[in-house]
Amino acid sequence: MIDTQSTPAGSMQNRDWQRRLIHFLGQRGFVLIFVLWVIYLTFNTRNFATVDNILTVLRQATIIGIAAIGAHFVILMGLLDLSVAAVISLGGVVMAHLMIAQGVPPLAAALLALGLGALVGLLNGLIITKLRINSIIATLGMSSILTGIAFTITQGRTLFGERGNNPIEAIHFLSRGRLFDMIPIPIIILFAFYIVAFVILNRTAYGARVFAVGNNDRAAWLSGISVDTIKIATFMLAGTLGGFAAIMQVARQGTATAGMGADFLFPILTAVVLGGASLTGGRGRIFNTLIAAIFLTSITNGMILLGIGIHTQNIVSGVILIVALSLDRLRTTLS
Amino acid sequence: MSFLEIDRLSKAYPGVQALKDVTFVVEAGHVHALVGENGAGKSTLIKILAGAVRPDSGSIMLDGQPYHPHTPRDALAASVSTIYQIFNLLPDRSIAHNVLLGREIRGPLGLLDIGAMHRQTAQILEQLYAGYLSPAQPVDSLKVGEKQIVEIARSLVNESRLMIMDEPTSALNQVEATALFNVIRSLRQQGVTILYVSHRLDEIFELADTVTVMRDGAHIATQPVTGLTRGLLVEQMIGRTLETIFPPRQATTSTESLLVVDELNSGNRLIDISFTLNRGEVLGVAGLSGSGKTELGQALYGDQRIDSGRITLHGKPYNPNPGKALRNRLVYLPEDRKGEGVFQEMSIRRNIGLSVLERLTGLFGFMNLRREREIAGQQIRRLDIRTPHMEQEVLNLSGGNQQKVALAKCLSIDPEILILVEPTQGIDVGVKFEVYQFIVDQVAAGRAVVLISSEVSEILGLSHRILVMREGRIAAELVTDATDQEEVLRYAIGEARPAAGTPHVLG
Repeated sequence: MIDTQSTPAGSMQNRDWQRRLIHFLGQRGFVLIFVLWVIYLTFNTRNFATVDNILTVLRQATIIGIAAIGAHFVILMGLLDLSVAAVISLGGVVMAHLMIAQGVPPLAAALLALGLGALVGLLNGLIITKLRINSIIATLGMSSILTGIAFTITQGRTLFGERGNNPIEAIHFLSRGRLFDMIPIPIIILFAFYIVAFVILNRTAYGARVFAVGNNDRAAWLSGISVDTIKIATFMLAGTLGGFAAIMQVARQGTATAGMGADFLFPILTAVVLGGASLTGGRGRIFNTLIAAIFLTSITNGMILLGIGIHTQNIVSGVILIVALSLDRLRTTLS
Repeated sequence: MSFLEIDRLSKAYPGVQALKDVTFVVEAGHVHALVGENGAGKSTLIKILAGAVRPDSGSIMLDGQPYHPHTPRDALAASVSTIYQIFNLLPDRSIAHNVLLGREIRGPLGLLDIGAMHRQTAQILEQLYAGYLSPAQPVDSLKVGEKQIVEIARSLVNESRLMIMDEPTSALNQVEATALFNVIRSLRQQGVTILYVSHRLDEIFELADTVTVMRDGAHIATQPVTGLTRGLLVEQMIGRTLETIFPPRQATTSTESLLVVDELNSGNRLIDISFTLNRGEVLGVAGLSGSGKTELGQALYGDQRIDSGRITLHGKPYNPNPGKALRNRLVYLPEDRKGEGVFQEMSIRRNIGLSVLERLTGLFGFMNLRREREIAGQQIRRLDIRTPHMEQEVLNLSGGNQQKVALAKCLSIDPEILILVEPTQGIDVGVKFEVYQFIVDQVAAGRAVVLISSEVSEILGLSHRILVMREGRIAAELVTDATDQEEVLRYAIGEARPAAGTPHVLG
């Protein structure tokens, strides 16, 4: 009796589980490509599917991933922040400069980098809401200003500490440290940030307001939401996260240059878009952005393992972005 | 053989059988009315005819040919045009560009002949009794009623054989509606067949030759209008008999003024507006479109710039702004509910929750999601919002239920003053009565309602006092019991002069 009942129930559950898996794979085009890529690398490289390499991928995903949280919030409102890469550059340069040339304590320098990011976000927010300038244009202009300042500080040089007396070593633990000698600290930071971001978006009034503004800012205003305040606060959040990404990057390379953030702009925005956040706002899942950030890092990692050059990597990244988004479009058209 | 033959058409959406074996015919050159409550399946049927949705089964014959449009373009190619409730206009382009979209007039060198386009558009607007609109004006600057006129003008250009009109008068005032009826009659004379969806039974009796009733996705009856009674038609629509149209109005007893407006000015839209709103009363605001009645509602909620004037709310000076209004329990139901009253891509739960966010928020800004579900559940039951569950996104609801969500957002904050702009626009008889009952209940509970409406009968049936607006001013303040439809209309149009010594005429 028990057997005859449990068998169909079991297979039902099994089928339900399969359906969910298929649904998840089909939900975002890139997830399928990601799975195929992982399978391919597992069989065609010696090192990809090792614990060490997987931890390396996750560590490398930290900077893109953290900055992408801010980009995700901004895109949820239907806006874009193109200044994040410049915030990473300027934040890194300012922090390194303060520590190396001015002898500012590492903690204070790091806090200043965060404050700088917040200030840039505040300016972005004010320009966009009060002067009513399109966010793409406003943050593009801001980006140019910040990069200009960064180059003025460095004069084109790489900032690094003297051997034996390098103050940047004080923050190396953010990149190289391991909890219980096992889990790298950047990975813990990455996942912790995403969990907090998830909670903020889905469990707080601020998160509800961000979605509301992105969904329909007229209706949000008529619902008594001070739309401008939400926009400014979100740009400040994005700027602060950019500042944090700058700290992590300085900790990782041990040096700072005025161009250190430039290469991050594409993967940061790509992660959010691949993750399925709608560019018109109101829709997006934060953990999909995290998965996309890890995927993008695994592309670079995998191609290095396969011995493919840096320029080809850029081509492949662009192709994958377009193919993945086309799959999504195809899926919505078919259904 | 009939002009349009609809045969056993069925269509299911997740959780809803929108159409069930619908079969009926439409004769050539008729104005054929299609009526039914929200969720009756009218919209689905229209979308199928317009090529926007494909049926699951069934067939359609148009003028003896199988007609199965896969896209709206197919429908247009078969000379079937549709005027939807939601406008399909390019907001930044001029009226002329919109009316002649895809049929632009070209001069030598293939460049657009703007002059000729403006002339042709002006001619069509004249035909629609809207000659006061300039063809060069961007559509964005128009009021809802005027956008509807542009929409209709566009389908006139398309020289359709079958014209489907989905509640074309829902946003029009009586003058505009009368003008539209004349246009429809002249189209009928030219042999155009018109499928006319409306909730206003008066219009159907005035205009239609034949009427089809649908209910819960099924075809109920197709019959000639001649010989049909209102009562029978309503009975067919709702499946029961409807007694009175307006619930009984209770006399106001309170003289406590909740809202005092003194010499309010906003450009040339609102000029020297002064009035008082008392607890327990419905204050009707009547006027043609463009009279400033909509702007008055917006101004009280902070959605319209105010140049001068004083507003006192609950005895304190009040500088309108939505956040402040809501904290003072003044709510506003905007005219464009689909676009401004609700968040289309959010759940019913969150739509309601966003209105009461401050009450749901605790330590560190965390939301009490359980409380949100409770409040949303209460409102869904109270307003009888038809939905499988509260996680349903608003865009999946029928028009009437979307309106109820907008109302639920207002109600959930436990308002004292409700500013309702066209609260029954585009909803059908059964729900309309629910909204009337809702308004009467509000004032019975000691709240006050500002009822801004283009339907004079509705204002007369519900209000205690009536402000009639014309050209931005209050043309008259009338006591409902001492006035009638004709007087209200005369003030609205501007033919009446205040009679000396008549006590209820103040302006």
